[in-house]
Amino acid sequence: MSSSLSTVLLIARREYLERVRTKGFLIATLLIPAVMGALTWGSATLASRAKTTSHVAVVASDTVFAHDLKQQLGSSAQDAMQVDLVEPTTASRARLDEQLQDKHSTLAGYLWVTSPATAGALPHFTYKARSAGDISTKTALEDAISAVLLRERLSERGLSHAEIDQLTEKVTVDTSASGNTKAAFIAAYTMFFLMYMVIMLYAMNTARSIIEEKTSRVFEVMLATIKPEQMLAGKILGVGGVGLTQVGIWMGAAYAYSTFGIMASGGHVLIGLTQVLYFIAYFLFAFFLYSSIAAALGAMTNSEQELQQLNMFLVMPLAFCMVMVFAIIREPNSRLAEIVSLIPFCSPLLMNFRLSLTQVPAWQVGLSFVLMTLTIAVILWISARIYRVGILMYGKKPSLPEILRWLKYS
Amino acid sequence: MAIVELQNIRKVYDKKVAVEGLSLSIEPGTMFGLLGPNGSGKTSTIRMMIGMTVPDSGTVKLFGQPFTRDQLKRVGYLPEERGLYKKMKVLEQLVFMGQLHGLEASLAEKRALAWCERMEITEAIPKKVEELSKGMQQKIQFIAALLHEPELVIMDEPFSGLDPVNAQLLMDTLLQLRGEGKAVVFSTHRMDQVEKLCDAIAIVYRGKLVLEGQTREVKSRYPRNRVQAVFQGDDSFLRHEGVASANNYAGIAEIALRSPEFAQPLLVEAIARGTQFTRFEVIEPTLEEIFIESVKKTPEYAAAGGRIDV
Repeated sequence: MSSSLSTVLLIARREYLERVRTKGFLIATLLIPAVMGALTWGSATLASRAKTTSHVAVVASDTVFAHDLKQQLGSSAQDAMQVDLVEPTTASRARLDEQLQDKHSTLAGYLWVTSPATAGALPHFTYKARSAGDISTKTALEDAISAVLLRERLSERGLSHAEIDQLTEKVTVDTSASGNTKAAFIAAYTMFFLMYMVIMLYAMNTARSIIEEKTSRVFEVMLATIKPEQMLAGKILGVGGVGLTQVGIWMGAAYAYSTFGIMASGGHVLIGLTQVLYFIAYFLFAFFLYSSIAAALGAMTNSEQELQQLNMFLVMPLAFCMVMVFAIIREPNSRLAEIVSLIPFCSPLLMNFRLSLTQVPAWQVGLSFVLMTLTIAVILWISARIYRVGILMYGKKPSLPEILRWLKYS
Repeated sequence: MAIVELQNIRKVYDKKVAVEGLSLSIEPGTMFGLLGPNGSGKTSTIRMMIGMTVPDSGTVKLFGQPFTRDQLKRVGYLPEERGLYKKMKVLEQLVFMGQLHGLEASLAEKRALAWCERMEITEAIPKKVEELSKGMQQKIQFIAALLHEPELVIMDEPFSGLDPVNAQLLMDTLLQLRGEGKAVVFSTHRMDQVEKLCDAIAIVYRGKLVLEGQTREVKSRYPRNRVQAVFQGDDSFLRHEGVASANNYAGIAEIALRSPEFAQPLLVEAIARGTQFTRFEVIEPTLEEIFIESVKKTPEYAAAGGRIDV
């Protein structure tokens, strides 16, 4: 028994070393955390520079309104824009148009305010921008105009400045108790896709390496000394070990980023230690589940092309999870979310997704572990049988009745 | 004690009968040739010998004991389809194979290096398998099968794809192994290789054993009724009453006689007619001829419509 275990470990070691030594592994392992870091740092920097700083011109005959607008755009909570005030003449329009064409000018656009024909009606606003895609400046202008008009009307109704300030004070909803919603959403989503990617990557890796051994006929040499079950076990352990190494490094990096405050927002750690551990645990379950399916697929086929036709068996459950994400994100604790996240093929993606969004009752997590373990045992049993017969078969792809017959061979 | 003993083994794949009622035994210190045309059941028989497939009926004994996987540590196997991990370096690969057979890494490495020297491929040691020629890969596979010093060496078509020099190197090595008291079993469809190499042979055809025995004894069962003649001039002696059949390849004739006694009268008459001989040799039939002859006697041959598919 111990010699059979050492054989499995020997095979696992070979599979592991062969993969870890490739340049591809090194690049992917280091590149993903680097990209992750760059993205979080980038979005953090962008967020800190969230104030609109464009340079615009306001053309209005109503100078009071123009000054108020300049005040609002130049020094409000959201905006720090540079505003030029221009008299509405035909010459000034031509000059502004010219400036917009000029590459050296910083002018982002100009706002043309046409006073209303009747008193009390809204003025007409036309904005001509250098870039049609400059949404943030347009939004800032709209917000500022609304604010200024509101203040004007309130003061016309006889309210004092202090009263107006009080009335228009911006309301903020404090979400710090559950962390920054937007950031949490992005983090959960990133984890979801990372999980999707590694499951697919490593399951296909297992299938491909079986096909490779089949086409190079290595297993014939191997089978002369060891059992197919040992080979399969060694292979899955080896490939799984590589996956664990990579995921471990990635999660370590994510945790480090998170705790060193880059991802931390509002005092909340987005990817905590528990989430890192859950991710790793669910990755392991997912890997064993999907790679045992992939092993059977690999043993059934003779080439990667044939594998492509069968890999829908791997993709379909994962695609189902993808669809379910949208339902879960709104109500992570709905009955639907609870049920789909307990389906063993979906737990690694969906339960883990729920865990990164909300508090999931411990019994559900435990149940998902139990269900996955049972499913893995069943699938591994079937796969080992298909594998044992399949790797010695060449030529045509087996039909379903043939595969069922393989299961009966002892 | 027989090293390999197959008793009445049978294997059916779906509807095709691969091996039927085959029995044979192989003694230690024997070079044993398993002969037969392609698809005759050689590989299936070998796979059952090493438990890669289990016979549907019949028993397999190795080293005098019913087959168990533990015995495989004492067996070296070279499969028909060569396979090595392409991305692995030669030495790593050999050490890995040795470890699979239960050797310590250090011992496996020591032996691998010695074998590489013996097989004249030392320059390949640091290279990856995919960088090597096919012949070199085959030698590495050969070494991998022998690293753990097996008592029984089983090789499926060991010489296919090798040039004559390397084939000879392999044959010499196999002869040395036999000299050390090991049993060597190999399959081939090349009869000329077997004749000088094997102590004992078995011929299989369509899954059945057609002939088995010591090579010399098998050959002695057949009369010395073959003549090889190299001649010039008149060839009318080929139509002598004692000639059963004759092939004349432009002055080199292969003649089958009705019986060995016709040899002398044939020579006398040919010389009388003025034929000039540089060679006239009365010999036993070659293994190839014995093979074809014995296959032709089987009912399967008739069933197959007179095809041997060599």
